Amino acid sequence: MEDSIKIKSLWKDISKELLTGQKQTIVDILKTIPLLKDLSKRELKVISKFAYERSFEANEFVFEAGQPGAAMFIIKEGEIKIVKKSDNDEYLEIAVLQSGDIFGELALLDSSPRSAGALASKPTKAIAIFREDLNGLLKTHPEIGGKIMMHLAIITGQRLKTTTNHVIQMENEINKLKEQLNDKQ
Amino acid sequence: MISNDRLNRSRIFYFSLFFFFISIFSFLIFVLKDLVLPIILGILAAYISLPGVNYLKRKGIPKSLAIVILLGVFSLVVFVIGQKIVSAIPNEKENLELRVQLQYKLDQNFLALLDKTDYSSEGNFLDDLVGDELYQIFQGLNSFLVFNKHESSEFKKYIKKSMISERTLFFYNENLKHPFLSTPNSKSNKLDENTANKSKTKSASKIALFLDAISIWIILPFIFIFVLIDEGEIKSFFLGIVPNRYFEMAFTTFSNVDVAIGNYLRGTLLQSSLVGLVIFIGLTIIGFKIQAALLIGIIAGISNAIPFLGPVIGLGTGLIYAMIVEGINPIIPFIPANPIVGVLIVVVIAQFLDNAVFQPIVLGKAVNLHPLVVVIGVTGGSIIAGFWGMLLAIPTIVIFKVVISTVYRQAKAYYIIY
Repeated sequence: MEDSIKIKSLWKDISKELLTGQKQTIVDILKTIPLLKDLSKRELKVISKFAYERSFEANEFVFEAGQPGAAMFIIKEGEIKIVKKSDNDEYLEIAVLQSGDIFGELALLDSSPRSAGALASKPTKAIAIFREDLNGLLKTHPEIGGKIMMHLAIITGQRLKTTTNHVIQMENEINKLKEQLNDKQ
Repeated sequence: MISNDRLNRSRIFYFSLFFFFISIFSFLIFVLKDLVLPIILGILAAYISLPGVNYLKRKGIPKSLAIVILLGVFSLVVFVIGQKIVSAIPNEKENLELRVQLQYKLDQNFLALLDKTDYSSEGNFLDDLVGDELYQIFQGLNSFLVFNKHESSEFKKYIKKSMISERTLFFYNENLKHPFLSTPNSKSNKLDENTANKSKTKSASKIALFLDAISIWIILPFIFIFVLIDEGEIKSFFLGIVPNRYFEMAFTTFSNVDVAIGNYLRGTLLQSSLVGLVIFIGLTIIGFKIQAALLIGIIAGISNAIPFLGPVIGLGTGLIYAMIVEGINPIIPFIPANPIVGVLIVVVIAQFLDNAVFQPIVLGKAVNLHPLVVVIGVTGGSIIAGFWGMLLAIPTIVIFKVVISTVYRQAKAYYIIY
């Protein structure tokens, strides 16, 4: 009985996918992310041809720290934790990302090793966009590639500012702690 | 984490699926082996023209139109060259005339080389040194040219109908005077009958053969169109079946291999075309007819893709034509009037340009194969699939080399292997 329900729902999923077309959903998701917000529906359709949807189990790595970066990921549904191994081999959680968030975007610039790992904390669906495809897009559709690169530069710049602020904040805190320590001594 | 039970079930499922597809695929290749060559050539043609489609797309031409334009250009080139080749290929009567002429010229050139007036007279030092060995080779060449009974009677019929020019008749009579060439080859009459029967059946089923070839090769333009129309669906499909752990690695490997093989194939095509072009221009300058120069240029260009043996095929074709050609008028006055010397000079120049200029610029050192691999590959290719095997052996080895080295590099980079 349970099996027949499973098969029916599987068939429903397949027929739904065949009739409605999966690419349309990818375009809808792409529309929501800031990196691609300036692109028209036609331009997003071009990008959807290079978008690969993947499903990850809970506790499955999307990528690990140290691996060469090749793709940026957009969370379609589920949850991703950005983690880094500590000195005593435990994973430290750096950030938790939800659907609509992007991660691994620096891989769109070069293939340098990933600075942290991405772990699915729930069953997750993510869309991958590869650097090689983006480079190809810069040749075939320079206007689309240009817009993406521009936004990538803006986002990277903003993250750099945020990091700089964090560093300044931390330095201030360290200085305060040092002063407190000196006062106590 | 994924449970072990599920992991095992997945493994069994994927392995069964893999073996199922491999068996179906092998069976289909075995049954449809005649289609393999047109499919491979269709994919290669599409692969080579991919930058052309992208270029036209950048110029604002829609992709479908770009593909139609490229297909049109391809068809036109194949049609024009095909027509030239067909008109240069002799019919049955011309074929017999050419053989008579070639036989006579070969005879003359052989005697001239050894400085002999006839076969019984004393020759130069070459005759003393390797005269017997050369005579063996000469006899071997002649055995291809000598008429069998059927061809002899056909030729006599043409003579009776006065369809043979006086000059060819002179060559024919001269050949008859020669003791070795006067009688039809000493091989048994059975062989003659066989060849006669073969040529009869051949002419009877020519239309059937033509239709057969057309029905197989008609698939080529379709393969060409559908590979070019593909918007990454083929790649998507293959990446879709790759497990998550190997996903990024698989994509990177795929695109690296794509770039390396694309560059190699387009480079080889460009290199072969340039060699063919140099030989065509060179032969035209030394006074060959344009049609003959084009045909020899195409043969030399295509066979140039076969390492070591290719230049020999080009040279051989040129030399055979040089032996039978008469009334050479070099375009430039100081060029030697002897066509054999001319062909040698042209082929040497083409090979020099190929090795010194075309190869380093076009191919670089991207795919260095050890000469031993090349020799074994070409020989093996010829055993497996004749001329096409020789032609496609090196590209196949290069593809395997690039795939294996890239997979190895990427698997290490992604910590999949140590």
